[in-house]
Amino acid sequence: MAYVSMGEAHRRITEYLNRFCDAVFSQDGASLRLLLSLSSNSPSLLSLADALNVFQDANRLIKQSDNYSQFAEILLPLFRALQNYRLGNLIDAYQAFEKSANGFIQEFRNWDSAWALEALYVIAFEIRVLAERADRELDSNGKTPEKLKGAGSFLMKVFGVLAGKGSKRVGALYVTCQLFKIYFKLGTVHLCRSVIRSIETARIFDFEEFPKRDKVTYMYYTGRLEVFNENFPAADHKLSYALEHCNPQSEANIRMILKYLIPVKLSIGILPEDWLLEKYNLVEYRNVVLALKRGDLRLLRQALQEHEDQFLRSGVYLVLEKLELQVYQRLIKKIYIIQKQRDPSKAHQLKLEIIVKALKWLEIDMDVDEVECIVAILIYKNLIKGYFAHKSKVVVLSKQDPFPKLNGKPVNS
Amino acid sequence: MEERRSNRFQRPNSRSSSSSSSSTSSWQSTTSPSNKFFPNPHTSSKSTINSGDSRTRRRRFSQQQQQQQEEDGNGTSDPPAIIGTCRLMCPEGERTQRERLRDLAVFERVNGNSTLSSPSLAVKKFCRTITTKQVQPSDVRPLPVLEDTLNYLLSLFKSTEHPFEVVHDFIFDRTRSIRQDITMQNIVNDKALHMYEEMVKFHVISHHKLRSCTSPNTSSVHYLNMEQLTKTLTTLFNLYEANRNSNSTYKNEAEFHSFYVLLHLGSNSQPMGESLSVWFRRVPSPIINSKEMCFSRRILRCFRLGNYKRFLSITESEASYLQYCIIEPYVNEVRALALSCINNCGYKLHPYPLAPVHNIDDEESFCKACGLSICADEEGNKFLPTKQTTFCCPKGGFQCYGFLGLERFET
Repeated sequence: MAYVSMGEAHRRITEYLNRFCDAVFSQDGASLRLLLSLSSNSPSLLSLADALNVFQDANRLIKQSDNYSQFAEILLPLFRALQNYRLGNLIDAYQAFEKSANGFIQEFRNWDSAWALEALYVIAFEIRVLAERADRELDSNGKTPEKLKGAGSFLMKVFGVLAGKGSKRVGALYVTCQLFKIYFKLGTVHLCRSVIRSIETARIFDFEEFPKRDKVTYMYYTGRLEVFNENFPAADHKLSYALEHCNPQSEANIRMILKYLIPVKLSIGILPEDWLLEKYNLVEYRNVVLALKRGDLRLLRQALQEHEDQFLRSGVYLVLEKLELQVYQRLIKKIYIIQKQRDPSKAHQLKLEIIVKALKWLEIDMDVDEVECIVAILIYKNLIKGYFAHKSKVVVLSKQDPFPKLNGKPVNS
Repeated sequence: MEERRSNRFQRPNSRSSSSSSSSTSSWQSTTSPSNKFFPNPHTSSKSTINSGDSRTRRRRFSQQQQQQQEEDGNGTSDPPAIIGTCRLMCPEGERTQRERLRDLAVFERVNGNSTLSSPSLAVKKFCRTITTKQVQPSDVRPLPVLEDTLNYLLSLFKSTEHPFEVVHDFIFDRTRSIRQDITMQNIVNDKALHMYEEMVKFHVISHHKLRSCTSPNTSSVHYLNMEQLTKTLTTLFNLYEANRNSNSTYKNEAEFHSFYVLLHLGSNSQPMGESLSVWFRRVPSPIINSKEMCFSRRILRCFRLGNYKRFLSITESEASYLQYCIIEPYVNEVRALALSCINNCGYKLHPYPLAPVHNIDDEESFCKACGLSICADEEGNKFLPTKQTTFCCPKGGFQCYGFLGLERFET
C-alpha cells in the first residue's frame, strides 16, 4: 500500500466522484464501466483504493454534495468494496459490491435508453468474479462457499430487469452467459433450464438482435448441455454455430468448442483430420479417431482408459464409449472387404467364427454367442444390412450397401 | 495439566497484537484491516481450519443442511440446531392424541385395538408442515433413540403378517420422520451416515418387492418410494463427503454410488434433472475405480450399446442383491430388446432356440407377452420363429415376468 498524503487522497476521491457523475450525466457508458471494474486491477482504481484507505471518511464527502449523494446507494458500498478488495478481504469486498450493484440496478431501471449496458456488463462480470474469489477465501477458512450461489440469485434479478420490451433487452444474453458460467462452475447445471426457456420462448427476445459475442458464448454452453443429454443433432448445430462465428484469432475459445464438438461429430460419423487435433492440442482424441478408422476395438478401449479421468471430468466419456458400435461396424466391414478380394462370390456370407478370431487378435475375448448378439444389434440399428443365421453361425450381408454410412445422423437408439 | 492450562490463558493477552500463531484462537477476526498484513493465524495452524479436516467438513455440511432447511422452509438462520430429549420412539403427546383420533397404524395397536398403543409400539409420524421454529425439544428424538427406532422398524420389514404394501407404507413414513429428526438436530456424523445407508437399503428392497404388488395405487407408491430413494441417496453422498478422513472411502460407499448409476440406466433418453455425464464429473477417483462402480459402468455400457447378451450374463453372475433390485426393471426391457433383435434380424428358416441364450424358465410366457409365438420340435425343445410381425412391448410394463437369477439370492 503506497503512501498517500491526505491532500492527495482527497483529490483522488473527488476526481473519481466527478468522473462518475459526469459519466452518468452525459450518458457515457464507456467511461462509466472503467470506473466499476474492480478486478481489472487498473492503476487508477488501485490508487483510488489506496486513497480511500488513507482518507477513511469518504462517506462524509459523498453525503456533503448533492451531486454525489444522489448516487450514495451505489458509491458508498462501492468504496467499501474497493477498500476491502485492496486489502485482500474478498468476502467483504463481494458483499459490499453486491450492495453497490443493487443500487446500480435501481438507478439503471430508471435510465431511459440502453446507454449504460456496457457498465451493466461490467457489474455482472464483477459480481461473478468477485463471488468466485470470495468463495475461495471462505473455503480456505473452512466455511461453506456460498457467495457464488448468491451471485447467481442476484444475476437472475438482473436478468429480470432486462427482460422487458425496451432497448435494454439485448443485454439479457450477456447476463445469461454469466449465469451459465456460474452454474457450470457450481455443478448446478440443471438451473440453466429456466433461463434458457426465457431466452428461447419469450416473445420479447429475438435471438438475432443479440450481440455476436454473446450468441457464440450462449451456443457454446447450450451446445455443451446438449452433449450432456446426448442430443447430437442439436449439439452439432449449436457448437458448429459457435465455431463458425467465433473470433478466428481466439485459439483458446476454438479449442474449447472443439473439445465438445469432436465427440459429437464422431457420433454422427464425421472424423476430424489429425492436423486439427494437433493444432488445437486435442490429441486425447487421436487414438479414438484412429480406432474408428481402423475398426480397432482394442485401441478405442485403451484410449478411453488412458484419458478416462479427463473424459469423465469434461463429461464426454459416455459419448465416446458409445462409439464402440461404429468400431465394430468398421471391423466387420474390413473383414468383408478382405473376403471379397479372395472370393467375391462368397463374400456376403461372413462366418461369425472369423469375427471371433479377429477380436481374439485384438486381445478381446468374446464367444460366438456374444458376437451374434453384437451382429444382431448392428443389424437392428441399421449399421449392417442383412440377417444372421443362428444354426449356421453366419451373418448374411445384403448385396447392396451392407454397411450404411451414418450420413450425419447418430446411430439409432 | 492445570499449570499448562493456566499458562494458556495468559498467552492471548500478551500476544493480542502479535503476528505469531496461537493455535487455540479460533474467534479472532480475520477481516479487520489491521490483521491483514500479518500472517493469518488460521493459516498457520493446521489443526482446526484446514479445509481437508473432517471436523470442518462436517461443520460445513451441517451449514449446508441448515441452508437447505431454510430453503425448504424448515429452518431459521439464527437458532442453533435443536437438541432432542424425547426418550421414546414416539413423543407421549403425539401418541395419546393419535389414540384419541384412532390414527394408529396396525403395527402400533395393542392387540389390534385401534384406540390403544404403547411406548414400545408407537412410532413418531412424519409431519410435513413442521418447521424447526415450532418444534419442542421434547418432541425430537436424540440419536441413540433414533438408532433404536430404526432398528425396530427394520425388524418389521420381514413381517409376513400383513400385505407388503402395509409394511412398506409404515416403514416408509416412520423412517421419513427419523430423517426429519436427524435434519432438525443437524446430526451429520458417521452414525447418521450408517442410518442413511440402512434407509437407502430399505427403499431399494421395497423398489423390488413393490413390483409384485398388484393393488391399484402401487404405481404411485412405487413412484414416491423412488423419490425418497433418490433424496436419501443424495443426502448419503453428502454425508460421505462431510465425514471423509484423508482420502479414504467408506466400506459401502462404492456400492451406494453404483446404485446411482444403475438407477439412471435408461434416463439419458429423458433427462430429468442431472444427466449421468454431469454426475460423473464429481465422483472421486477411488470410487470410480472401485469394483462396484466398474460393475455398474459395465452394465451401463452394455445397456447403452444394446449388448443384451453381456448385460444379462453379467447381471446374473455379478450383481449383488441390492444392485439386482435396481437393475431388475431393466432386465425385462433388455430381454424384450433381445427378442426384438432376434425376431427382426434372424434368418426366417432358422427358428431361434430359446433355452441356451436366455436361461430363464418363463421365457415362453415372456415371448407371448411380447406378442410372439413359440413353436416346438419333436423332442419338445422350444423355438422362436423369426420375422414375426406381431412383436410389441408388453402393455402393462414388465412387472409380472420371472426374475432372472434371483434363485442365487434365496438362502
